[in-house]
Amino acid sequence: MTIPRRPDPEPPRKTVQAAEQLLNVKDQLAAAPVVLHAVSKRFGRGRGAVTALDGVSLSFPARSFTAVLGVSGSGKTTLLQCAAGLEKPSSGTVRLCGAELARVSDRQRAVLRRQRVGFVFQELNLVPELTVGENIALPLRLDRRRAAWAVIERAAARVGLHPGQLRRLPSELSGGQQQRAAIARALVITPEVIFADEPTGALDPYTAEGVMRLLRQSTGGTTVVVVTHQPEVTRFCDRAVFLYAGRVDAIIDAPEPAAVAARLHALGERASSEHVNGGER
Amino acid sequence: MRGWMLAGLRRHPGPMVGTLAAAATAATLSIAAFGAAGAHSPSPLGRLAGASVVVAADPQLEVTVGTGHSATVQTAPLQAYRGVPARLAGQLGRVPGVAAATGETGLPGGTVRPGLADLIAVRADPGVSAGTLARRIKAALHGGAGYTIAAGAARAGLANLGLAVEIANGHALGDVVIPLLIITALFALAATTALSVDLRQRRFALLRAIGATRGQVRRAVLAEQALLAVAGGLLGYPAGAVAGALGVRALVAHGMLPAGSSAASSPWFAVLACVINLPVCVLSALLAARRAARTSPARAMRETHAERTQPHPVRVLLGLAAGTGLVVFSVLALHSSGPGAEAAMALPLLMAGMVAVALLGPVLVIAAAAVLRPLASTGPAARLALAGIGRLPRRTASAIVPIAMAVGMTGAIAFFNTSEAHAALAQSERAVTASYVVGGRGLDAKLLTQARDLPGVRAVVGITALEAAVTDPNLEFLGAEAVSAGQIGQVLDLGVAGGSLSGLKPGQIAISTLEASSGVMGTGVGATITVYLPDGTPYRATVTAIYHRSLALGDLLIPASVADGHTGAAAGYSQILISGGSQRELAALAADHPGTRLASRAVYNAQLAQDTGQNSFGDDIILGVIAALAAVTMINTLAVSTAERRRQVWLLSRIGATTRQLAGAFGWQALFITVVGLAAGVAVCAGTLTGLDRAVTGSAVPYIPAAPAALIITAVATLTFATIMTSFAAMSRHPAQ
Repeated sequence: MTIPRRPDPEPPRKTVQAAEQLLNVKDQLAAAPVVLHAVSKRFGRGRGAVTALDGVSLSFPARSFTAVLGVSGSGKTTLLQCAAGLEKPSSGTVRLCGAELARVSDRQRAVLRRQRVGFVFQELNLVPELTVGENIALPLRLDRRRAAWAVIERAAARVGLHPGQLRRLPSELSGGQQQRAAIARALVITPEVIFADEPTGALDPYTAEGVMRLLRQSTGGTTVVVVTHQPEVTRFCDRAVFLYAGRVDAIIDAPEPAAVAARLHALGERASSEHVNGGER
Repeated sequence: MRGWMLAGLRRHPGPMVGTLAAAATAATLSIAAFGAAGAHSPSPLGRLAGASVVVAADPQLEVTVGTGHSATVQTAPLQAYRGVPARLAGQLGRVPGVAAATGETGLPGGTVRPGLADLIAVRADPGVSAGTLARRIKAALHGGAGYTIAAGAARAGLANLGLAVEIANGHALGDVVIPLLIITALFALAATTALSVDLRQRRFALLRAIGATRGQVRRAVLAEQALLAVAGGLLGYPAGAVAGALGVRALVAHGMLPAGSSAASSPWFAVLACVINLPVCVLSALLAARRAARTSPARAMRETHAERTQPHPVRVLLGLAAGTGLVVFSVLALHSSGPGAEAAMALPLLMAGMVAVALLGPVLVIAAAAVLRPLASTGPAARLALAGIGRLPRRTASAIVPIAMAVGMTGAIAFFNTSEAHAALAQSERAVTASYVVGGRGLDAKLLTQARDLPGVRAVVGITALEAAVTDPNLEFLGAEAVSAGQIGQVLDLGVAGGSLSGLKPGQIAISTLEASSGVMGTGVGATITVYLPDGTPYRATVTAIYHRSLALGDLLIPASVADGHTGAAAGYSQILISGGSQRELAALAADHPGTRLASRAVYNAQLAQDTGQNSFGDDIILGVIAALAAVTMINTLAVSTAERRRQVWLLSRIGATTRQLAGAFGWQALFITVVGLAAGVAVCAGTLTGLDRAVTGSAVPYIPAAPAALIITAVATLTFATIMTSFAAMSRHPAQ
């Protein structure tokens, strides 16, 4: 199993070229870039085993901007990790950018991530000993591509970082600026999918809104999956997926923060009543 | 990417400081060793300046050991120069192209035996080159076996014939010291490398998440370690040059190098040190790099991390195998004996112990944390410390391993010496039954006769320490004693186990039970054996006695008349043992012979106790260097692992932990690391000493004096507490950094 061709005119990478020879891709290009089918994930064994995801089937259409919400322990982060190929599901299949992840090697998954997937985490997003500019260029360098300074500056400019900040170390920037740099790093490869895990979790509401607006504006044409527990985030989203106890509880299109907050509150009440306190999954 | 990773070293060197310091220390030692090994010794040609070719005796003893297909030729450096037949000058004078061949005597370190010359100086006919003449002489001597034929600059090496013995002694010391140092450096580097990689697991996870392949992470770590190895090699050069010069000075002071010797020095030594460091660093980084590359990219999303608490089964199995190795080597050592066994078993015993501790370190931590769990009830500080230790067993183990290494190695070396010295002293006190002992210079046969003629004197025996070689089964030189004719039993009680010591005559020999036992020489009373005197002369003799107390006087007793002329010194004795007689008359006799001194048995034993209490110079060097290396590693590892807890300190102080509570937690951690490290080190030390002591002293129980033991424990505890608490103090001043 190999990875299908990226649907943009950029020259193909050597590794992808080799992979493509073995794959029939003609029906994949039009499909959703992220598809999960009956995905389950269990941690641990025997009586101490915890089921984080329980038969989740879900797809994230091209160019969609989706929020994944739920109370703590509902399986949000595990869903993102499985969808992005960072964790292997215990059962079920995950298709990312046309590649069935269970059938590609670890190396091919890594190549897929650096060429076609962007990541933004809650914090500790940047390698502390590299400058901001070097952090932004990192996916290109990992891919042995030339990281022209102009390209890095352009990516930084899209998220509002000025050239002077590119030569600083991450510790010299504020939390919001660091998240901007992480978004710029995700954007520099022009990804098909961006996965963001609680990107505003460590930010104040004002900065958080700025970061989300930036993410929304700068990712036109990219499929974005945002894991969050903040209803306000959904204001920027096309769709909200609610998880409860490792299963999809509801999907709302064009979500309103107030409605999202109400549903999250209800899920929280339900969790309390069922004594579900399994910690973050 | 590698280039940028390496740029990161410059900006955020914290976790790599330990590796760099360990690499620099290893390089310092290597460069010092090169400097000492290549020391220049002044050797003016002197009388040999006019000779085209010089023919001297081979300084090596060469013996065929075994028979048939298993026969091997073994060599050992001679302890005394044997000289060449004086008549060889005539034989060489007939070689075509020789103008004159002269037997030279009286050279420094030359022979004292009549009929022998120190060497033959050969002058060439005009038009005959020195090289051509050397080849002709070699042919005339049937290939030159048993001779050293030198022309040109090589002649200078023969101007001082004692030099070969001194250099051989220096090399013998180097053969022991250098492997120990390299292995110790390997452990030190491996510990710091593993820690520096472990501390950056989350960083590697981030790189993996954004698309770095395992190979890229692995190569980045290896490149980083290679750079550190090279940087350490270059940094170690100045210190290594100084240490080499000091080492050579010390070797000269202890007679292991000629006066005026100076350490070799070359910038190429830095290159060599880098070349040695590279495989050590890269090999030790391989495992760590593999682990780093396998980091799950999902870890990048986790704020906190508890490492795998159950050690990998393969690691545990390998650790148990190494532990079994320690037991097996100990049992083997228990069933062997003699100094040969010491040399053969010491390193494998120590290494098996160290590898076992390194691999089973996390298991030790988990077990110790479980045992000490009740201490958690003493307060929040202890609870915090024990929780941290239990959740990070591998990281805690990386701090324990250098302590175990320091205690295991220094303890094994120091207490083997004390055990040997103690046993030797105990044996000597029982072995010397003479009423008086005369020591000093000029103890000759005349003095012996004069003492024997004094009224009341029952027995007088002169003894001289020397080294004689045996095949037991490998060729090696042992401590021996040449004894004059006389009633040995009246002045020495060597614990005769078989045969009789009364009157050792030429053609006879006495041997210790350790050397006579099976697996060593495997011989008994009445058997005929061959030993080689210090100048290599074979002495074939019948064993007439086997004795127990060999540590004081050596493993062989040889008639003094046989050894005369073969020791490299003039005939005479180092001590004269006297039974009976009056002190006043003996003191008067000693006064008539300037340079001699008389001591009663009690005074002699007290003097012996003082002398044997001092370690040998070689052991001092090994001890000092290992202690220094272990201390550097310990401080590095502890400082780095403690400093990496800055965020934890910050968090705890934010949620209300007082500085006192935090200091208490770090104090408990230091106590845990000290106690478990000491326990592991003592276990390695005990395993090593039990086997070695039995092999050499006959007792499996080592002698451990309280003062050095307390010194080692205090030094380790002080260093551990000082490093951890200093690091804590530094980070608590700037917790938010």
